[in-house]
Amino acid sequence: MTKTINLTLKVWRQQGPKDKGRFETYHAKNISTDMSFLEMLDVVNDQLTIDDKEPIAFDHDCREGICGMCGCVVNGRAHGAEKGTTLCQLHMRHFDNGDTIAIEPFRAMAFKAIKDLAVDRSALDKIIQAGGYVSVNTGGAQDANAILVPQEVADLAMDAAQCIGCGACVAACPNASAMLFTSAKVSQLALLPQGMPEAAKRALNMVRTMDELGFGNCTNERECEAECPKEISITNIARLNREYLNAGFFSRSI
Amino acid sequence: MALDAKIPGGPISEKWDRHRFELKLVNPANKRKFDVIVVGTGLAGGSASASLAELGYNVKTFCIQDSPRRAHSISAQGGINAAKNYPNDGDSIWRLFYDTVKGGDFRAREANVYRLAQVSNDIIDQCVAQGIPFARDYGGLLDNRSFGGAQVSRTFYARGQTGQQLLLGAYSAMMRQVAAGKVQMFPRREMLDVVVVDGHAKGIVARNLISGEIERHAADAVVLCTGGYGNVFFLSTNAMASNVTAAYRAYKKGAFFANPCFTQIHPTCIPVHGTYQSKLTLMSESLRNDGRVWVPKNQGDNRKPDQIPESERDYFLERKYPSFGNLVPRDVASRNAKEQCDIGKGVGETGHAVYLDFADAINRDGRDVIEKKYGNLFQMYEKIMAENPYEAPMMIYPAIHYTMGGLWVDYNLMSNVPGLFVLGEANFSDHGANRLGASALMQGLADGYFVLPYTIGGYLTGTPKADVTTGHKAFDESEKQVTDGINRMLAIDGKRTVDDFHKTLGHIMWDYCGMARTNEGLAMAQTMIQELRAEFWENVRVPGNTADFNQSLERAGRVADFLEFGELMIIDALARQESCGGHFNEKFETEEHEALRDDDNFCHVAAWEHTGDGQEPEFHKEPLVFENVKLTQRSYK
Amino acid sequence: MNWITGTLGSSIGKKLLMAITGFSFCGFLAAHLAGNLTIYGGKDAFNGYAAHLHALGPLVTVAELGLLTFFLVHVIIGLILFLSNLKARPVRYAVNKSAGGRTLGSATMPYTGAILLAFIIFHLMNFHFVDKTDTTIFNIVSNAFSNTGYVAIYIVAMVAAAIHVSHGFWSAFQTIGANHPKYMPLIRTVSIAFAVVVGIGFGFLPIYIFLLA
Repeated sequence: MTKTINLTLKVWRQQGPKDKGRFETYHAKNISTDMSFLEMLDVVNDQLTIDDKEPIAFDHDCREGICGMCGCVVNGRAHGAEKGTTLCQLHMRHFDNGDTIAIEPFRAMAFKAIKDLAVDRSALDKIIQAGGYVSVNTGGAQDANAILVPQEVADLAMDAAQCIGCGACVAACPNASAMLFTSAKVSQLALLPQGMPEAAKRALNMVRTMDELGFGNCTNERECEAECPKEISITNIARLNREYLNAGFFSRSI
Repeated sequence: MALDAKIPGGPISEKWDRHRFELKLVNPANKRKFDVIVVGTGLAGGSASASLAELGYNVKTFCIQDSPRRAHSISAQGGINAAKNYPNDGDSIWRLFYDTVKGGDFRAREANVYRLAQVSNDIIDQCVAQGIPFARDYGGLLDNRSFGGAQVSRTFYARGQTGQQLLLGAYSAMMRQVAAGKVQMFPRREMLDVVVVDGHAKGIVARNLISGEIERHAADAVVLCTGGYGNVFFLSTNAMASNVTAAYRAYKKGAFFANPCFTQIHPTCIPVHGTYQSKLTLMSESLRNDGRVWVPKNQGDNRKPDQIPESERDYFLERKYPSFGNLVPRDVASRNAKEQCDIGKGVGETGHAVYLDFADAINRDGRDVIEKKYGNLFQMYEKIMAENPYEAPMMIYPAIHYTMGGLWVDYNLMSNVPGLFVLGEANFSDHGANRLGASALMQGLADGYFVLPYTIGGYLTGTPKADVTTGHKAFDESEKQVTDGINRMLAIDGKRTVDDFHKTLGHIMWDYCGMARTNEGLAMAQTMIQELRAEFWENVRVPGNTADFNQSLERAGRVADFLEFGELMIIDALARQESCGGHFNEKFETEEHEALRDDDNFCHVAAWEHTGDGQEPEFHKEPLVFENVKLTQRSYK
Repeated sequence: MNWITGTLGSSIGKKLLMAITGFSFCGFLAAHLAGNLTIYGGKDAFNGYAAHLHALGPLVTVAELGLLTFFLVHVIIGLILFLSNLKARPVRYAVNKSAGGRTLGSATMPYTGAILLAFIIFHLMNFHFVDKTDTTIFNIVSNAFSNTGYVAIYIVAMVAAAIHVSHGFWSAFQTIGANHPKYMPLIRTVSIAFAVVVGIGFGFLPIYIFLLA
């Protein structure tokens, strides 16, 4: 049966990138434990609106854990403490009556603040633009079954391809590194025969772009893997390292 | 106005080939002189942006999210159809065409559907070449599965995340063009108006959602790929930002809206469980391949499912439809679930749910096999419901999922406003009154990769080039209208929140224009919506101001449009005095409670023209001619 | 850009340099520890080992210069990485919790590294750059470790070394891309085992000598 809890929220409020930002305290009352975390914020925002205060800005869209739009740091954990879960799929049944919850945006130099809990993650798009694709124009592709791909390889590629680009890996990394994100795309395409022709160039360009965008360096802390809502493994980072070093030292690409 | 769908002549299997030949080409060197605006970056918008840019057009692409990778196509789970016939089970382009027309209850345009089936195979080839990790069998060949409404296995899939993978494929192709400088990306923009100059679409007015600035963008053609309007029901499986605004504003600028009452209810969603709920979660209907749908035989049986013996369970789909069983089309499965709940056999706390049981499949194939096929769906279910579906049967209930209606387009996917193209779910063209599973992805990509790149050339060469700039007075007027609308909403300062209005609207729509409709209910709902709309403009509370990241304001604009659009749906539903596919009017049903069509009077597309605020829209008819398919009463027995 | 600086100057390149130099230090530690174990054989054995080592002549100098180069690379790049990682998150989290990925070793790398840097300077000043004309290395060592302060410093440093190595060892494999589901568990176990050997192996020596004296 549905039960309700009362919570104290400490929410990061920041008017814009130039504002310094601060925590504000709100009381969320009679929160059903069947609610998702974002539905809880909806309830708080409704009350703020009625009370003539400005609602909390936060990004969200599909609310089923696949679009990658949502994400905050909840009590020090990106997307909250549940494993393999996005914030929209985090349910309030994982909190206790009387809990105090600190809610902060994803913080990284490469993720500029927009407002309150919303940040600009377009840096991740820029990494993909640097090579996260196979250069095939529409039309002219050969029959889909012309190249065999072992099931195991397709599965490994799919494990990596599941990345939803939410940026939790960056948020959770003590160094704000985007290695897990970058490695997921590099891995997916390096594993599949379709991606191999461009593998060297892709690894070099994507890593270079990642560095230029101001992300930190991977120090193998494994926080990204532990926090990733799609549970993408750091074996992908190892593969990226391999691909990158191979490309740097042994390919003709610069 | 006569609606000319511009369907090419000749036998159906040759129409597209012939048309492609007859379409004029744009000289490669001239393509770079044309600017095209694409609004939306789902499967249709992403694939169209990439393909047009590859051809050499200058593309400006807009999306509402922070990144084009987040469009709601990403949530499609089950798969994408193609007539590859890899499993050797009797599939063909003709069969896919036939299934789609029949599944759509004979309310789709034959020629469009045939073309869709034709290009379906190219889509799979293209997607594999992009590096999309489709499921494969042990030998390394692509795997297929069966899906609702079909008796062949023609669905390609990437675990339960096919939409995600296809979208990321289109997104990556588009990102490649962004890097090449051929696509200019405008994220966090909401299109608020189409600018029409001398009858041709020549640009858009959009709001920068971060700064609040109203921006003008001019182009030689505008392509809307803005998805469906399922969120008119408030609770749907659509993403929170999915809305009708772009399509509706185009409608207000003269584009016809076709068949708005054709909405699809998806049978396998997680049931509603509270008033605070913000959305419904769909689970792929591929679950029906292995799950068996049942309710207790006795009304009000409150026992736990494992305590209900086999003899006291009613596997109602298997009982009523022995040949298709649990795989009947979505509308049939949904209506039957509703019927069972309405007679008091529903399960769960609310009684608005039926069981979807995997016990037999797990016993037969083992838990590992089931986990491999549906692991992520089971996990999702467990997260939301806090119940382990490997042990207890899932509870499911239908929810609004897809909208077959949309802006009217001709065979070239161009609306009646020249230069305004509409792709994907935003148009009405291919699914008739009901869409088959795994066909939405197919249509979005077909439109973007393989149809628009040809047809847009035909329009651009056939139209004198008018270099309209953003300084044109049509832009001034558009911007003023948009700004006035925003200021008006902000000035109301009423008592009810935007979401509150949206929820009320949703209830009206679900109760009276949902899974089953009556003439009385629809008439009542129309009045209720008018009243609600009047109250909205007096009593809505939109905090903040326009020159800011203001999510309440964004929602307010969308709900304002839904409040008008909902009425249009009802008008359409009232006008269509028959039942077909997703439009089920209780007055028109067979003895077996199936939809009863009236082909003599309603075998047409209903296209509505905006005639002014508060005025009745004008009805236009595009008769549907079936030369290749015999109209029959759909039967899935 | 030159392809060498391009490759090595990137985040992964820098990590590669950290991995290679760090891994060679692991080799050095193993050799150093093996040599130090002669101390359990008594004064003569230990002095004999030292004499043997010095008899290698120029080879020792080459090795020392090599170590010094690696050392500088490791320290300088480590510092660069540390600073750029700080810069990558200008506003810190008010609440910060681990998701369970970090270990004591991984979370403290820069700090244990700094301790080791200070220690190595201290260690070299005491045992390497000292006048050894009228005495033996064994005497110097016994003298030093009769002082409890010295013993304490050494033990702290060796605990830091063990913690540093516990992450550094497996991390080097990950950095060069050697992460395989079949071998990674073994590498991680060896990593911990090696850290324990380094910690106890080096850490017990001062205690042993203190007790002996």
